[in-house]
Amino acid sequence: MEIFKKTLDPVVAMVIVGVLDIFLFLVVGAWTVGGGETMITGLVAKLVIGDSLNRIPFWDYVFKPTLYYWKMYISLGMLFGGFLGAVLSKEFYWRVPRHLNEWVMITIGGLLMGIGIRLAFICNVSTFFAITPQINLGGYLAVSGILAGAWVGSLIYKKVLES
Amino acid sequence: MHHNSLTQILAAFFFATIVGFLMQRSRFCNTAALRDAMLFKNYRNTKAMLALMIITTIGFTAFMTVGGGYPIEFEVGINQFVGLFLFGIGMVLAGACTVSTWVKSGEGNVGAMWALLFTFVGMFLFSLFWSATYWPPAPTTMAGVPNLKGLQLGIANAATLQAQTGIPAIVFGLIQASVLGGIFYGIVRRERAAARKREETKASMNIDS
Repeated sequence: MEIFKKTLDPVVAMVIVGVLDIFLFLVVGAWTVGGGETMITGLVAKLVIGDSLNRIPFWDYVFKPTLYYWKMYISLGMLFGGFLGAVLSKEFYWRVPRHLNEWVMITIGGLLMGIGIRLAFICNVSTFFAITPQINLGGYLAVSGILAGAWVGSLIYKKVLES
Repeated sequence: MHHNSLTQILAAFFFATIVGFLMQRSRFCNTAALRDAMLFKNYRNTKAMLALMIITTIGFTAFMTVGGGYPIEFEVGINQFVGLFLFGIGMVLAGACTVSTWVKSGEGNVGAMWALLFTFVGMFLFSLFWSATYWPPAPTTMAGVPNLKGLQLGIANAATLQAQTGIPAIVFGLIQASVLGGIFYGIVRRERAAARKREETKASMNIDS
């Protein structure tokens, strides 16, 4: 089939996603990722340290670990969809970063993403595709923040690439 | 488990599977949408991001006009600026955002899995900080009214705008969509001008040779 050979135009892909996202907005709420990732963090932490997790107020008041939180299944769906697309178009293979500085940048980047999401209470998806389209003033603050951050990040990225 | 959450879970999983598939096939990445525009003047992903924003802006505000859908009850606060600033640096360093980490992990990308792992670690570290300071206020304690001590300024979205001004939410949506559409059009014009310039240089080089 054509779709498994050629790269799809991202504008076409996102128009389809947009229409589906409006349906999701009517059923449960707009597409978002950060909340689900937090719940996964909580469930993993509960597996590792057990009931002592309840002594940390965040996991008692804000995110009580539960398997019935719909946002978590957004993450699992994207993982499955990505896997499906890669396997069907024979693009699945293990890719491992080769250089040490890549590992360091990914580690720092991951940490900053996790901290940033929880500080803001939203991720990039909810910023661009949920609260800003709902004309939430917080969305404009978040968009300004991510543009400034991406610019600073790009300067660092360029420096590392050049060295 | 009650029926309601099963419907929610299935809807979320089904939606996200299609999203993951389309992302994998189109190589769309939110990080690239910002980074490539800033570093390389490449707008392939930026245009896709804007298209999605235009569609959801019109769709969400249309349903919010009649009180439909589930808008996020979200308080405005300076923590959104600071949090997403940190996130913006992080996503460029990691080379992936919250979406592409999952999609690329599905493709077998170990770097993306590593980024996810440390996103979880970052979230856990922040949960300790939050537990010590109780800031920013949790969504469950958010009352929707300004809490200046916690630097939370209350909820302000298309629905509250409609309630306060009497102007339908869709009007604000259409204004925002036309601004985004204007940016989209500006990018297309810029790309066309660049393509024309390339053609001209090519043509003049042919004459020289």
